[in-house]
Parts: sequence; structure tokens; C-alpha cells
Amino acid sequence: MFDLIIRSLTQRKMRTGLTIFGIALGIFAVVVMGGMSEHMNLVVDKSLKLLANNIQIEPDGTFGGTLDDSKIRQVKRVPGVSDAYGVLVTALDPEGGGGLGGGDMVFGVLPERQLKDASLTSGRYLVPGDGYKAVVGSSIARKFNLKVGDELEMKSKRLQRTSSITNTRNISVVGIMEYTGSFFDNSVQIPLDRAQKFYKMENTVSFIYAEYAPDSDPSEIARRIDLSVEKVKSKSPEQLRKEIESNLMIFGLITISAAVLAAIIGGLSVMNTMLMSVSERTKEFGLLKALGAERKNILFMTMGEAALMGVIGGITGIAAGSVLVHFLNKSFEAQGSALFAITPRLVVIGFLFAISLGIICGTYPAYRATKMSPMEALRYE
Amino acid sequence: MNNNPGNKSGNYGNNENHDAGSEPVLRIRDLRKIYMQGKIPVPALDGVSFDVNKGEFLSIVGPSGSGKSTLLSMIGLLDRPTEGSVFIDDVEITKAKESEAPRIRREKIGFVFQHFNLLSTFTAMENVDIAMRFTGTPKNKRKERALELLTMVGLGDRIKHKPSELSGGQQQRVAIARALANEPAILLADEPTGAVDTKTREVIVNLLKGLSEKGQTIIVVTHDMDVARQTDRIITMRDGTISGDTGGS
Repeated sequence: MFDLIIRSLTQRKMRTGLTIFGIALGIFAVVVMGGMSEHMNLVVDKSLKLLANNIQIEPDGTFGGTLDDSKIRQVKRVPGVSDAYGVLVTALDPEGGGGLGGGDMVFGVLPERQLKDASLTSGRYLVPGDGYKAVVGSSIARKFNLKVGDELEMKSKRLQRTSSITNTRNISVVGIMEYTGSFFDNSVQIPLDRAQKFYKMENTVSFIYAEYAPDSDPSEIARRIDLSVEKVKSKSPEQLRKEIESNLMIFGLITISAAVLAAIIGGLSVMNTMLMSVSERTKEFGLLKALGAERKNILFMTMGEAALMGVIGGITGIAAGSVLVHFLNKSFEAQGSALFAITPRLVVIGFLFAISLGIICGTYPAYRATKMSPMEALRYE
Repeated sequence: MNNNPGNKSGNYGNNENHDAGSEPVLRIRDLRKIYMQGKIPVPALDGVSFDVNKGEFLSIVGPSGSGKSTLLSMIGLLDRPTEGSVFIDDVEITKAKESEAPRIRREKIGFVFQHFNLLSTFTAMENVDIAMRFTGTPKNKRKERALELLTMVGLGDRIKHKPSELSGGQQQRVAIARALANEPAILLADEPTGAVDTKTREVIVNLLKGLSEKGQTIIVVTHDMDVARQTDRIITMRDGTISGDTGGS
């Protein structure tokens, strides 16, 4: 029976080709868009893991704002908090703009509190007393072609609205982190005091991180911090994760629904093709019934055709998407970071989606085919 | 004249037999079919009864609208009667469930159409082969049988030809080979010579005659009295009833 399906498809090469192309295009969109969303998920997941399980305290209010050093002392005094420290985060290139996880960031950190979960491929971590020294992420190192001992230029603008760079300074790289797949690949860590001085933001930090005793409840402590320290908003690791995940969910929904739309259009083209093919083959199906074909034989033939187009379209779409993503990642990596991740589950989803699209959109035409009357064949001119 | 429809196995020699030695392969009892034209009932068949014996070569003639095509579609289980019964090999096919219809069609009936109805992209061989696919016959058996049948109808050297590469008469012979593929109890031919020239007509009729001599039961519906005259028995239909039967009892 399978050869009949192949036959019917190859008989109408142009039409079959166009239909398969339609599905492939839809699945291609699913794979590329989904790959973007999957990559974001992975980055966030790894970043959160590296952030360790600290409570994050940010300035309360809609303005970006910063926190005063004095807030760190207040946080430290909250019962349950074992230690607290500030981090200053700025863009490496103030004119470049951040972008979706692609922006290069400068982290002013206390040398004692720098990210040590990620190991270094070369050089050393920051140590207390370091001047304008930096530990850079792997993507930064690749982008600027940095080795330990090289110099990296920092730029600052005095005010957000100032149009030109007002201050630049070279810092020397002392360590390069290995690839983590997180935001920190695009980070430059320098001592906090130097960052505050260079950016003219003495005594201010962007975030405060509070450590707590392992057996205490972080969300309870976060609430306590909000109550006892003014104008701050604290998030327990779990809250932080939830918040980021819900943001990602929206991002994912937007990308995936655009892709699904494309795939559904592909599915409609299958349905259209199959309906045309069925009405053209009135005589053939009627004849097959007169010859004793059962409904299931005819269903199998027509749905098989639709499903096969789905399979071929799916494979083509996934392959084309993977190839494109591969080359895009290659070119983005040269600039620092990858943008897409084709995960196994994405491939499975794309493939299942293609097949079910084929089958679902083939069902109605197949049903119509089984309804063909043998009488039609008997008297057809 | 109603007989017991449920009794379908091995009741040969009952009251329905005509002459010794030949069994009725087809029995039609008081068949009626009423089509509704809006609210007006139009009888297409109005109480038709006859028997056909095994190996008989029968033609059904009559003007358009006399009910002969309706009768043919009832025998072929393509349509259901309003009343009455059709028995093939003592099985009342008019009582069969819709799900059993395909099996009955492929095991009991072989169709030959006026316009041949071959699949245009298939070779002669494949056109015969396809009739056996639905019976679950293994591939090599199907090939063997298809070759045998095509050789029998005189197309042994044309098995790889597509319908477009065959003449009308050759196409109809392929269709006959296809109809015989599953060794049907009855070969039903609807105007088999309606689309061919007179010379080819003789070839087709002679082929059918030869088959009937080998024991194949054949029913031909035709307009063409030259074809009907060459059959063993002519049933003439008029207004949904039988108005003449040269061989009937």
C-alpha cells in the first residue's frame, strides 16, 4: 500500500513539492524561533545557578536607581542575614546598548565576593588590593581577542543623556573564565572600588546580595529585609527564578506562536493539496471501492500521503533550521555569544508537530475520499 | 415467492433449482427500488425476480430509464434496494452490513465499465494487480495471476504498457482481466462495448463468450442488440419491470 502513496505523491511533483516546502518553512520557523527561546532558557538557568543562592536586593521603584553603601550595612543588621555585599553593574560600552542577554557588562565586585564557581582557563582571580585589573568572561575574551596581560578599554559617560564618551581607561586582564553558557560569559569583573571611582558612582551599588544561614527560610528573610530597610525590594532565589522564568515564558510564547502560525499555514496548504487531489481522484477512489477497497484502505492511502508530506517537510525544516542556526551561531560566536540552541526536545517537538499537522490536515480530505461513491466510477465519463 | 434468507450454507437442491446440473449463482427476489424526486416517489425497479445459473452469459437490455443500471448496481452491492433480496451463492448480500460490502464486492463481483476505468499512471500489469491488493494476496502470487490473466486476454506482450499506450479494445481487455482477478462469482459488465468500434466490439464479445464457456457467469448491460443477440439469454427491462426473458423459467 505504501508504494501507492509514494506513487500518488511523485505523480504530482510540483504540487507535492510546494506543499512540502510550505510545511518545511513552518517547521523551519519553529526550530529557529524555538532555538532562540531555548537558548535564553539555558542561559538563564546557568546564570541563576552561578548566582548561588543569595537574596537579591534591588532599589525599589520604577527608576533604575542605585543603592547607597549604607543600605549594605542595614541589610547586614537584619536578623537571619549572615553577610551582605554590593555589586555595581554597568554596560561595558555605554553607547552600545544592552540587548537581549547579548550586552557586555562590567561587574564591580569585591574581590572576596567574585564569581568563583566558574573556573579560569588562564590567569588568576581578582585579589584584594588589585587596581584596574579585570577577570573577563570567555565571550569577551574571544570578541576582543584578549589574553592574560592584554589591555581592555573601559568607557563611561558622565550622564545617561550625554552623547559622547567622557572618560576612557585601560584595564589589564588578569584572568579569563571558562565558557559557562551564562550571562557571565559577557562579563568583565573588576574591583568594586575601582568601578565606583571610574564611573563616578562612589558609595553606590546596583544590587546587594544577602547571604543567609543554610537552615533559614530565604523568602521570610527577604520579607524581613523589605520591612527593615527603606526603599528596597528583596527577592529570594526562588522568587528571582520565578520572575525570570515568567518573563522568559512571555518571550517564548511570542516567538513560538509566530512560528506555530507559520506552521499552521503550512498545514492548511497540506489540506488544500489533499482536497484538490481527492476531488481530482473521485473516479479513482470510486473505482477502488468497486474493486473491493475498504474505507480503511482509502483512509490509509490519503492520510498516509498527508502524513508523509508532513514527515518530509518536518525533516527538511528541522535540517534547514539546524544548518541556519549552526552558521548564525558561528558568526555570532565570533562576536562573543551564541544566540540559538537546538535542543533534542526542540527537534522532537518540531518533528511531532510536522507529522501531526500532516495527519490532522489530511483527516478531512481522507474522510471525503472514503465517501466517494463507487457509482461515480461506474458512470463517470 | 419469498424464501428463507437466513439459510445460506449448502442448501443446494432446494426448491429454487430449475434444471439438473446447474445451480443458480444469482437469485433476485421481488426487488424494488424507489427514488424520491422531491416528494414524489419514482420507482426505478418495481418487483424484479429472476435466477441466473452458473456459467450463464446473460444480457440485460432496455431503453434508458428502464431500471437496468439500477438493477446492476443492486447486484454489485453499490446501492441498496428499498425492498426485496439479492442472493449470490446463497448469501443474501442485500442484508450484508455496510462493513461487509467491500469484502463481498471483491470476492463475488468483478466489474467491467464502459469507460474501462483503468488507472492512467499504472501499467496493464499493475492495473490487474491492484484488484488483488485488498484481498491480502502476497505480491508474487498477484504478479503470477496478473500475468496469467493478461496472457489469457491476449495481452501477454503488453504488460508494461500504460493505458495511453493501448487501444480501446486492449484497455477493455485489461479491465476484464482485472475483473477476473479475484475469481468472482459474477462478472458484471456495464456497456462494455459502448466506447469501442464495431470491430473491437466483436473481440470483446468473443472474449466474454469464451469466458462463459469456461464456466464464468457473466451479466452484460447493453443498449446494443448486436451484442445482446450473442448472449445465451436476454432479459428486457421496461419501466422497472422485466418485460421479456428469452431463457427464464
